[in-house]
Amino acid sequence: MKTLRLFPLELGRLLRSRLTWLAVLLTVLSPAAGLTLYKPATASTMLSMYLANPAIAGGAAGGILFALLTVFDLDRARRSRADVLTDAAVSPLTMAWVRLLALIAAAALTAGLAMLAWLPVSRWLMGAVFDGVDYALAYLLFLGLALPLAILAAGAAYQFTRRTDLSLVLFAAFAGLSLTVWADDWQLCWLNPCVWALSDDFSNFRVFRSVAWMRLTWLAALAGAWGVSYLCIRQYGKGLLGSLARSVRRVWRPVIALALLACSGTAYAAQPFYDNSNPDLTAMELYELDYAEGVTLLDRTVQVFPDTDAGTVEGQAVYRFHNTSGKAWTACFGVDPGYDLTASVDGETVSAVRTGYEESNMALWEIALPADGEVELTLEYGGFPKDWNLSSTVQGDPEISEIYLCLENQRLFPYLLNVLPGEEGYPTTVEVTLPGAMLAIPFGTSDAAVVAEHEDGARTWRYASNSPGGILYAGDYVRQDIQAGGITLEFYYGRKHQAVMEAAGAADAVRAVVDYCTAHYGQLSFGAGDTLKLIQSRVAGGGYAVDGASLLDEADFTTVNLDDTGKGGGAGEVMIHELVHQWWGLGNMFDTADAASPWSAEGLTVYTTYRIVKELYGADYAQKHYVDQWRQAVDGYYLSFYVRHPDYLERLPEDKQLEITNALTYVRQYCEMPLKILKAEQLVGSESAMDQILRGLFNRELDPAYPYLTYQDFLDACGLTEEALDLG
Amino acid sequence: MGKIMRYECRRLLWNKFFFGLLLVLLFYGWQVLNSVTLLGVSHTAPFSPWSFGDYLSRMVPLLWLGALFFLTFFTSGKARRAAVLTDAAPMEPRRYALSRCAAALAGTVLLALAVLVEAAVFYGWYFQWYGWGQLVLPALVTLVPPLVFALGSGWLLGRLRPWLVYPWMLVPFALLALPLPEALGLWNGRFFSVYPLTLGTLDPNLVLPASVLTAQALLLAAGAVLLCVHPGRAQPLRRNHAA
Repeated sequence: MKTLRLFPLELGRLLRSRLTWLAVLLTVLSPAAGLTLYKPATASTMLSMYLANPAIAGGAAGGILFALLTVFDLDRARRSRADVLTDAAVSPLTMAWVRLLALIAAAALTAGLAMLAWLPVSRWLMGAVFDGVDYALAYLLFLGLALPLAILAAGAAYQFTRRTDLSLVLFAAFAGLSLTVWADDWQLCWLNPCVWALSDDFSNFRVFRSVAWMRLTWLAALAGAWGVSYLCIRQYGKGLLGSLARSVRRVWRPVIALALLACSGTAYAAQPFYDNSNPDLTAMELYELDYAEGVTLLDRTVQVFPDTDAGTVEGQAVYRFHNTSGKAWTACFGVDPGYDLTASVDGETVSAVRTGYEESNMALWEIALPADGEVELTLEYGGFPKDWNLSSTVQGDPEISEIYLCLENQRLFPYLLNVLPGEEGYPTTVEVTLPGAMLAIPFGTSDAAVVAEHEDGARTWRYASNSPGGILYAGDYVRQDIQAGGITLEFYYGRKHQAVMEAAGAADAVRAVVDYCTAHYGQLSFGAGDTLKLIQSRVAGGGYAVDGASLLDEADFTTVNLDDTGKGGGAGEVMIHELVHQWWGLGNMFDTADAASPWSAEGLTVYTTYRIVKELYGADYAQKHYVDQWRQAVDGYYLSFYVRHPDYLERLPEDKQLEITNALTYVRQYCEMPLKILKAEQLVGSESAMDQILRGLFNRELDPAYPYLTYQDFLDACGLTEEALDLG
Repeated sequence: MGKIMRYECRRLLWNKFFFGLLLVLLFYGWQVLNSVTLLGVSHTAPFSPWSFGDYLSRMVPLLWLGALFFLTFFTSGKARRAAVLTDAAPMEPRRYALSRCAAALAGTVLLALAVLVEAAVFYGWYFQWYGWGQLVLPALVTLVPPLVFALGSGWLLGRLRPWLVYPWMLVPFALLALPLPEALGLWNGRFFSVYPLTLGTLDPNLVLPASVLTAQALLLAAGAVLLCVHPGRAQPLRRNHAA
């Protein structure tokens, strides 16, 4: 009661201090630093530049300012030597609560003022893509919650040390770590959340959820630390240990503090956003499992129910197997590591065992099945999907909301790992129930149709496919059909992006790419009526392609890209890259990339992307943004200390070795190989000579036993040797 | 004078601030070594003078902060109240001030040594590398000028207005955000990551351009001069009550 009575007095005193108002004013102004000096979100979407960056900068600067204010405020009574009097009137423990609450109230007021002050500015800067929910969540999570965290950290430091100088040093190191060496660790960067992009056209709930989780983890940790420091508040003229011994007499105090610390530790260890996949990106254990002897897949039926409010997925998948071995066997499934799974055969529950091994964002599950000739296995699965741990610096997937959803492979249904397909391949029927406004788009040659409409407005979509996995996109999409290269392109993009797409002439850019590849290499052919889907994804920093579908990153066509006169008003380089994969990587298959070789589908795709960009945006642009960048990266690769001295690499711990080698593999495939192809182009005489060679390779007669395009095929077609393409 | 210095050193170093600061520095340093230095800077070895210099540059802001906090032991209101007594001691004020500066310098040197020893342990632990001789020059060039300048400027500011020392602590953090010219590249650490790439050779030896050396020499000289400047008597305490 005393705390409540003193709180308005303390808050009033705090708000009469000029120092408080200086901290408030500077915090309200500090988002401006996110527009100029400090830009942690690197994507070119409007929300990244004009919402994420200002809010994160405001949170970092505001946190530091409020930490300083906290230390100076806590030290005020001692500095003026009034502590003897105030301690006699009010218990220092009570005053610690009152001061903390007053500082947090001042921080809340500041966050509110910052939100109000920047609302019209953000609205003006972001234009049509401004969204009130994104704005409120970004400012609350990125800016608002940074302030109480800083107050708790600085308050705890002061209450432990009872010294201004040491408290400030402790806080400086703590904040410095977050801003520098912890900046790329999404769980440790407590002051500046690890946010690289916010989507303009779709929702951002996954990013907001992970930032909220990080903030709450730290809130529990720092509240626990503050709680322990509260026990150390000096009283009755005693020192730290004497005061601690006195404070812990009320057992609930240390119990609450330790419970908060335990909560924080649990939240850190059991975070639901990223998996524990094998950090070795070359590991292929799940793909190299022995196939079950004499067992084939007959068909499977899947029903998926995404919960767009909670961001979770529930589903049921029924697999029918044919077993000629007469023996009991074990089915292995790769399942999203965030999902749980139960299994039954003919209505009888069977044991499903999670082995604990995770690789490539899949958890390995094993299910023992009987020796029956035909087995119908039903899997009930679901949960909050986890993303691959290597993606933790590019947070945002998998987004599941009522305006956007992407379920890839093991996230859509359990991925069968050790059973061969039957004569008909992998006949699969998928049904997905979605909110009424969402359009279901299977990523591939299949088309989805509505088969049921429910009372709540939801609709059930059904489609058939025939591939080991499957990817499903759904959202508030617009479809535009484009004729190019003798095929029909179904171009899907977010409704909110329609004006930008039209201004960008996106359809013309797509047509130009397809016409270029068709003219230079040959026509594509698909089984399902020669149509190719081009689907705009939420900002992801990259994309992928499968037979009959390619991805277009949201960041391909943004207002900023349109304003970049260096590109002649065009953009869409991820779109070009993923469309080119229809020729190199899908139209012509590549064997699994060898870790020791730079040859993969990416080499020819990146080279072709460069050629298209050169034609569309000019030679200078292509030289600067492609060839010079490759050369710089390749030079960096060959000059890298650990490439030159692998003996030193072997001395490092395994996780450090993998961190370094994973980064180097990327450079070899995406930069070294395109440079080698460029060198080959010079050696064969001209661009047109290289085009003829690539056309020949694209249209070559395939060997059914080994249909892959190899590096040796490429060298033979060029009449060159591997040594001739050495870049040294 | 020796006795006074020993006393001041004990006052400065035998307290929880020094040990707390030491722990914070060592923790921060280990994080930097493990996350940044381990990868090597500008294609050089993690134990090259360039990578080592980069590590030290990242530690300078905290060392600067520590050095200035040492000075607050002598410039704070509490110290100035005690000055009424110490000024009455039969010792020339200049020599007394020199003893205090020497004590602050000793504290700063100890912190810097801890940072250096930590790097040596790191190099021995991961790479079994013990060629410390080639790291002496980057250590001297990176640490000595800014820390001497911190003490000199902080001493002067603290005697003029004690509160000025606190905003002065933020200077190296502000420099990190500023695009400084190459000559001042050591002030925000970018010199070690940018300059070796311009040399066009593999694993270049540490080369310091004349402009950088001049800037560091000027910084060192300015620090030394400021340490010797005697701005008269320290700012008297404001009286809050009528005599």
